[in-house]
Amino acid sequence: MRDFQSKWLMTLYFLLIFIGIGGVSASAAVDQRVYDNANLLSDSEIAELEAVAAEHSGRHGTDFLFLTSEDPEAFDVVDYMGDFFDAWAAENGQENAVLLTMNIATRDVYLAGFGTAETTLDNQRVNLVLDRILPEMQRGDYAGAFRETVTTASRYMEFRPGVNPESIFFKNWFQLAVALLLGGGIVGFMVYNSGGRVTTTASTYFDGDNSRVTGKLDQFRNKTISRRKVPKKSGGGGGFGGGSTGGGRSFSGGGRKF
Amino acid sequence: MVIQYKCPNCGSDMAFDSESGHLSCPSCGRQDDIETFPETNILRKFDPEEAKEYHCENCGAVILTEAETTATHCSFCGAPVLLADRLTGDLAPAKVIPFTISKDEAVAAFRKWTKNGRLTPPGFASGDRIKKMTGMYVPFWLYDIDGKADVAALATRVRNYTRGDTIYTETDFYDVRREMDLSYLKVPADASEKMDDELMDKLEPYDYGELKDFRMPYLAGYLAEKYDYDDEALFSRVESKIIPYIDSYISSTIAGYSTVSYTNKQIQAHKKNVYYTLFPVWMVYYDFENKEHTFAMNGQTGKVVGKPPISAFKVAAWFTGIAASAFAVLKVISFAVGGVLW
Ligand SMILES: [Zn+2]
Ligand SMILES: [Zn+2]
Repeated sequence: MRDFQSKWLMTLYFLLIFIGIGGVSASAAVDQRVYDNANLLSDSEIAELEAVAAEHSGRHGTDFLFLTSEDPEAFDVVDYMGDFFDAWAAENGQENAVLLTMNIATRDVYLAGFGTAETTLDNQRVNLVLDRILPEMQRGDYAGAFRETVTTASRYMEFRPGVNPESIFFKNWFQLAVALLLGGGIVGFMVYNSGGRVTTTASTYFDGDNSRVTGKLDQFRNKTISRRKVPKKSGGGGGFGGGSTGGGRSFSGGGRKF
Repeated sequence: MVIQYKCPNCGSDMAFDSESGHLSCPSCGRQDDIETFPETNILRKFDPEEAKEYHCENCGAVILTEAETTATHCSFCGAPVLLADRLTGDLAPAKVIPFTISKDEAVAAFRKWTKNGRLTPPGFASGDRIKKMTGMYVPFWLYDIDGKADVAALATRVRNYTRGDTIYTETDFYDVRREMDLSYLKVPADASEKMDDELMDKLEPYDYGELKDFRMPYLAGYLAEKYDYDDEALFSRVESKIIPYIDSYISSTIAGYSTVSYTNKQIQAHKKNVYYTLFPVWMVYYDFENKEHTFAMNGQTGKVVGKPPISAFKVAAWFTGIAASAFAVLKVISFAVGGVLW
């Protein structure tokens, strides 16, 4: 019995160490997450974004990366992003990452989730993030767009994979409203019934022996038929979904023009 | 009690031969069997010797008692009533549901009810402030109603199916007609002006298995109120009471459609029989915080109705409790589904 217990404790101890090491290695090994090749950000903005990215990267064991470029020739931002990540992953020994890429020349933005982020930030969630950062992109607030990406994606990744994190069901105001309505409804019902309830029904005085249908007609008259197309499974409003890089790394993702 | 059988042909009093059970009319010679004689043509009247009528000078209530009762208190306002008239030729009840709950049982049942009040102030439930309890027979008219309904409706049946990449929605339209005979038995309406209609409706239902032909001894120890409205005056009330019942019966005969919209609905209802009936009611006068609250209890089933005082604190406590636990449950569900609490 003692033997069994100590084995358990040992296992738990090792498990804790591994979790600790895993969490530390993800954030400690990486020293740069913002690659502003297009010079869109000021030094202070870069410093601030690095701090935000580092903080959230440590939380999920997933690095949040920001890559900008200004290349009018690059006709596919996804290829550019894939090449960058293949190199980055090899260099940093980290496969779990969320990568926001933008080409300011072609006005393309693409958000991808690699490694564990491919499931924790799936195509649906990528598109929800893009919905939220598009206004900032259009305003030219690229630092704000990345900050929003980090905080929103980080929040989404706390949700179990597959569920829609923007579902109304998870909103505090909705849960509160349902709770208040339920409380009000039940208590209102109690107050209303405190003086006794009507318990007679349609059948209380009904005389089934002498009530009957004596005439019945169900005559078909005409019919109308309306048609509509089966709605297409939308891959996310203009996005091109996920894929894999030249280096064979698969990812979830979606992109927009801004 | 005097029972008169009015000839359906000419209105004369028919003679009853108890040997053969036959009724015969001395004026027109019509013969009837007592078993099948229409209830509406039977007239029951109090014998002058058996009942008295008291008029309350304080509140105007009219109370019937046995002839032996000499002095009593008004069951509504509690004022002593002494003025009595012999009843001569007044309509007597045809039916009665006797009290099955005694005064002691009624007190116990009422106390139990106050304890179950989840929203009443603490003192209301613990307090023992029954000021007065009066067993009273409340006059009702019970209507046997015959009716016919003729309805026309336009109904649709909707179905969806998919062929290739197209979803088809097919809506079939039907002309629907229903003719039906309707019958409702002994639908009650209280004939007392002083009794709140809504309160009396909530006392229902009574168990008609206990419905007896009226006899004077049932009045012993209780008061009976005299009816204020006759059966003609109350028929519209009963009609409005059964219309929703009829509507639900009609819709139950039109099944299997997606939508039904009525284009014509004709309902005729007429009374077949009317019974002047006394229902047993315990009136409870309860003092609470210097206010008198009146409750009524079904003297047959023990059901209590009436507006109890409501504690704002308890309402707030229940509301907070339910809302908070509902919120907690939603949080647990959202954690189970989404893995996130906030
Ligand atoms: Zn006659
Ligand atoms: Zn009175």
